[in-house]
Amino acid sequence: MDLAKVIKKETIKLEMEATTKDEALRELVELLYENDKISDKEAFLEDVYYRESLGTTGIGNYIAIPHGKSKFVNKTSLALGRTKNGIEWETLDGLPVRFIILFAVTDEDKTSVHVRLLAKVASTLGDDDACAKLLVAKTNEEILNVFSVFEEN
Amino acid sequence: MNIVGIAACTSGIAHTYIAKEKLIRAAKELGHTVHIETQGTIGTEDKLMEIDIKEADIVIIAADINVGGKERFKGKKVINVPTNTVIKSPKALLKKIQTDLGL
Repeated sequence: MDLAKVIKKETIKLEMEATTKDEALRELVELLYENDKISDKEAFLEDVYYRESLGTTGIGNYIAIPHGKSKFVNKTSLALGRTKNGIEWETLDGLPVRFIILFAVTDEDKTSVHVRLLAKVASTLGDDDACAKLLVAKTNEEILNVFSVFEEN
Repeated sequence: MNIVGIAACTSGIAHTYIAKEKLIRAAKELGHTVHIETQGTIGTEDKLMEIDIKEADIVIIAADINVGGKERFKGKKVINVPTNTVIKSPKALLKKIQTDLGL
């Protein structure tokens, strides 16, 4: 499968400025908006916060996976970002968050290849080694590589 | 142990698949046999085989919602946990189950 359909180099930001969870979410939402993946920033953010209200998205290993299934998503996509310092977030291991993967999913996308790809991305995060690599990768290409190598195996 | 299980989460997009991967990795590292079915937005994948269920020592349902097909596990020992438990500490869960079952 072609991960490039959901992860674009343009929506990866390894040097985020955010120092809080809200800033981080807004920074990634902005990135999606700039790349035409969503149609309304505030409305999409509201849907992301709705999902946050249902349960922890900080999955441990310094990684968080906020997601929004929303009618304001033009195309199912991911925005990936890494912060300089740990961000306070509700996490399963009590550690702060440094790598954030924001899932933007269209309302209609139930069975498409895109959602299947998101499942692959999520599976990758079940591998502690892959999570560690995301924290140290130096370029956007290296980030993409973490996911595609996992997929091949 | 022979383990079968189901993973399912609220939006069926991410936690389901992380939970599955974590369970499989932990089980393999500990030397168990494992089959995990996912019930997500894209439907049921890696559906459990009858033979795997039959041979299973334990059924682990890692879910934040109601899962389908529970009748398949009639007569089996079933453990229900939220996806968070297997994402956070899959090995600890498996070790506890093993101790509890005396296997």
